[in-house]
Amino acid sequence: MRLVQEGNPRAFELLYDRHGGAAFSLAYRMVGNRVTAEDVSQEAFLSIWRSKARYQPDRGSVRTWVLGIVHHRAIDALRRNLVHEKRRSSAEGIEERHEAPEREQTDVEAARREEARHVRDALENLPKEQTRVIELAYFGGFSHSQIAEMLQMPIGTVKGRMRLGLEKLRKGLKEKVA
Amino acid sequence: MSVERHELLQEDVGAYLLGALEESERDRFEAHLHECPVCSDEADRLRTAVQALPRSVMPIPSPAGLKTSLMAVVQAEVRERDGASARRFRPVAWTTERLKRSASALGRRPGLAMAAASVVLLAGVVTGAAGLYAIENATDEQPQRQASSRTIVAKVDKTRVPLGSGSLVLPPDRENGAVLRVHGLRPLEQGSVYQVWLERGGETISQSLFTVGEDGDGAAAVADDLEGADAVVVTREPAGGAKAPSENSILTVAL
Repeated sequence: MRLVQEGNPRAFELLYDRHGGAAFSLAYRMVGNRVTAEDVSQEAFLSIWRSKARYQPDRGSVRTWVLGIVHHRAIDALRRNLVHEKRRSSAEGIEERHEAPEREQTDVEAARREEARHVRDALENLPKEQTRVIELAYFGGFSHSQIAEMLQMPIGTVKGRMRLGLEKLRKGLKEKVA
Repeated sequence: MSVERHELLQEDVGAYLLGALEESERDRFEAHLHECPVCSDEADRLRTAVQALPRSVMPIPSPAGLKTSLMAVVQAEVRERDGASARRFRPVAWTTERLKRSASALGRRPGLAMAAASVVLLAGVVTGAAGLYAIENATDEQPQRQASSRTIVAKVDKTRVPLGSGSLVLPPDRENGAVLRVHGLRPLEQGSVYQVWLERGGETISQSLFTVGEDGDGAAAVADDLEGADAVVVTREPAGGAKAPSENSILTVAL
């Protein structure tokens, strides 16, 4: 990361090689089409390159940091594009697009898929209504009031389910690791 | 910290971490986090769950063209950065007049957009395709202008040009045109060229014609004043160029 911060293009390329796939996957999961997902990924990595990176190791791994930037960019894209409006009418789309096409996997890819399965299991073990509000907020970019309107429930209930769901998810992930 | 305020805001922590609060609520909650150790601890604890969410996404391969396009911009910016620090090199003014003069010197007819594009391509080769720097003895007309030039990434129609990418390098002063660089475009059959257009207020103005090498790389001049322009676009046209675009653009740089 030090070399990326110094503007070394080779180091930046390695950063992309390591995290570009996860970045594109997250963007695609959120925006639902390849072209916008490419734009989001490119914007995210260019912002890393141009800002010479403000990565802080004490705030988490490089991957977490990169994916956080991609997430913000995808939310921006969702909020400025019609994509959001189109998807609003079909909240089911938020839960789809999980499965990637089968292809030959490298060890790293296999490990990533295993990790994805692990987190998804923990997420799916939550009560459905908690999973739903978390996914609509995080992957769909919807605000609590939008979710309340879509699911026809009070805002307080939505906020409560988010909080409870995250607490249960944290415990679930911890148990799986232990 | 007041107990009432804590009780009012503690339920927001999940929505805050998920980015689901409205802007004013988010500001209010962040202010609360600074003064409430209970909520601050809970936010730190739950953040690990939020950070795990992107890892639940099954990985899919990213398109090869994405890396190509990204690295093209990065390399262009590195070349500009390195070029800016080279002592013997001075920036060439990015004016239409300059392009015409250079075209004349090379025995080409000034005024033709194709010639201007060729000069740009030649300059790119001479200088390592960096950013239109040239060794020259002229007086320093444009001191340091390349230092703050800007690169805008093009949007490419991936259905027609799956491996294509491009970027427009603008000088600090938009009155002085720009250079469009492309990568991964298909070399066209004889009798066809790529044509660059400038869109401004509903009007589409031809800028230059160009072809690409076997590697799909090429460059072209956008000689007109970019002030007030909406976009630079590229279409495929018959050799000699068209008076108006005959197809939807394959590549668009929104200004």
